[in-house]
Amino acid sequence: MHLINRRNFLFLLIALLLVCASVLALFSGQFNLSFDTYWNAAFAYNENVQGEFIAREFRFPRLIAAIISGSALSVSGLLMQTLFRNPLAGPYVLGVNSGASLMVALFTMSGIPFFTQDIGTVSSALIGGLASGLAILFLSSRVKSGVSLLLVGLMIASFCSAIVSVLESLSSETGLKRFTMWTMGSIQHVSIDQIGLFVALIGLGLGLSLLVAKPLNVLLLGENAAFLLGIRVTNIRFIIIGISILLASVVTAYCGPIAFVGLAIPNITRMLFKTQNHHILLIGSALLGATFMVTVDCISLLVEPIAVIPINVFTSFIGAPFVLFIILKRL
Amino acid sequence: MLGFEDVHIGYTKKILGIQNLQLLKGNCYALIGANGVGKSTLLKTICGQISAIDGKITLNNQRLHTMSTSEKSKAIAFVDTHFRGIDFLSVYEYVALARTPYTNFLGTLHENDHEIIASSIQKLGLWSKRDAVTTELSDGERQLISIARAIAQTPNVLLMDEPTAFLDYGNRLRLIETVQQLAKEQDICIVLSSHDIELCVQSQLELLLIDYTSRMLISTKAGVDISTIIEISFKQS
Repeated sequence: MHLINRRNFLFLLIALLLVCASVLALFSGQFNLSFDTYWNAAFAYNENVQGEFIAREFRFPRLIAAIISGSALSVSGLLMQTLFRNPLAGPYVLGVNSGASLMVALFTMSGIPFFTQDIGTVSSALIGGLASGLAILFLSSRVKSGVSLLLVGLMIASFCSAIVSVLESLSSETGLKRFTMWTMGSIQHVSIDQIGLFVALIGLGLGLSLLVAKPLNVLLLGENAAFLLGIRVTNIRFIIIGISILLASVVTAYCGPIAFVGLAIPNITRMLFKTQNHHILLIGSALLGATFMVTVDCISLLVEPIAVIPINVFTSFIGAPFVLFIILKRL
Repeated sequence: MLGFEDVHIGYTKKILGIQNLQLLKGNCYALIGANGVGKSTLLKTICGQISAIDGKITLNNQRLHTMSTSEKSKAIAFVDTHFRGIDFLSVYEYVALARTPYTNFLGTLHENDHEIIASSIQKLGLWSKRDAVTTELSDGERQLISIARAIAQTPNVLLMDEPTAFLDYGNRLRLIETVQQLAKEQDICIVLSSHDIELCVQSQLELLLIDYTSRMLISTKAGVDISTIIEISFKQS
C-alpha cells in the first residue's frame, strides 16, 4: 500500500477541484461579495447588511444544493447501474422522476382543488417520487428478475407521462410555464430553511449506501452468483432500491428532475479510478458528482448576465454527448 | 461426502430421480445426459437455488436444506458455463470476491484471504495476469479464473455447468486435466456436466449417466466404452 498512488492522487485532485469550483461559485454572480462578507454571513450574521443577506439566503444554499444534489444523483445512479448491471441505467430508471413530475403537474396545472392545496412543488414532487418509488419497492420483492423490474419502471414512467401530456394540453399558460420551468431543474430555489432537512436526508442516503458496498461488489457477478456467495439477494435488492429512491426523489423534490448527472458521473468515475470496488466508486462518484454540479453552476452563473439558462441544459449539454460516447465505445 | 437417498429433482414435477449415491472427495465426476433431462436442475438443487421435491441430500452427513445460506456458501462453489468478464474488474479483484462468505460486512480481506486468493490464481497458472481486466482475457483464461474463484471459496464441493462448452479442443483437455488435479490436491468433490463424452472417458473421470428412458441417475466406474454411454443416455426410444 503506497500513500501516493493513482487512487489517492485522484481523490485529492477531485477534492481540490471541488474546493476551487466552490470558491469560484461563491465569488461569481451579479453581486461581488468579499471574503469578509461570507465570513460574517457564516459566523456573525447581520441580516440588515445586504451582502451578508445575499450570501446567507442565496449563495450558501445554492452552493450546498449543488454539492449534495450532484453527489446524491451520482450515487443513486451508481447503485442502479450496478444492480441492473447496465452502465446506461441511472437514478431515474425506476420512474421516480415520472411520479414526481405527475404530482407537480397535478399541482401546477390540473386545477383540481385536492391537488392544488398550498403544499408547494417540493412536497408534491416528494410525495409523487416516493409514491412511485414505494410501488417499485413493493414490486421488487415480487418480480424475480431485474430486467422485468426495469420494464415495470418504464411502464410506470410512460403511464405517468401520458397523464402529464393530457394535463399540459389542458393547462393554462401560467400553469404550463410553471411546470416547464420545474422540469428544467434548478438549484437556486432551495431556501436556507429547507437546506437542513435536504442535507440530513441526503446524508442519510449516502451513509446507508456505504453500508451496502460489499453486496454491491458481489452483485457485479449477477444475482445468481451473489446468492451462491451467501448474499441475501432479495433483501439487498430491496435496500439498494430503497436508498436509490430516497436519494433521487429528495433531489427531484428540491431541484427538479436534473438529467444526466446520475448516468454520466458513475461511468466517468469507473473510467478514472479503473476499479469496480464500490468503497472507492461510491466516494469517488459522490465527490465527482458534487464537483460537476458546482462547476455547471459556475458556468450558469457566468452566462447569467446574458441569459438565465436552466441547469438541465448544461447537464444535458455535457451528458448527452457522453452517453453517445459510451454507446459507440460498446459497439 | 455428498450423499443422495431416493431423491426426486425438478422445479414442480419430478424430472430426475437418484436412488442411492455417494460422491466422494478427491474425485472428479462427469455428469452426462441428453439435453433437458435435468443436468442443470440437479446442479442448481445441490447449490440450494431450488429445493429437491423429495428425498434426502446430505453434505458431510448434514441434511442440505438444514444448512444456512452462509454455511452453504462456504461449502459449495459453482462455475458457470461462460463468464463474459466485467469491465474494470481485475482478475485479482474478481477472485477476491470468492472470500465474501468469510469477510465482515465491509468485505475487509485479511492476510490469509490474500494468501488463498494468490494461491488459487497460481494453481490455475494465471498469476502473471492478476492485474489484467477480466474482459481482456481469452475465453479459455476466463474459464480458468472462474475456477480460480471457485477454489478461492475453499469449498468442499465444486460444481461446474458445462465448463468446456465454449473452449477449443486444447483448452478442453487442459481444463479437464486441471480439474482432476485440483480434486486430488484440494481433496474436494468436483461434479461437472459435459457433452464431451470422449474427453471424459479418455480422462478416466468417474461417470454419472442419466438414463434417458428411466430418468434415473446411474453411477458408472471409469472404463465404460462410449457406445454403452450413448445407448443409455442418448437412445431416444
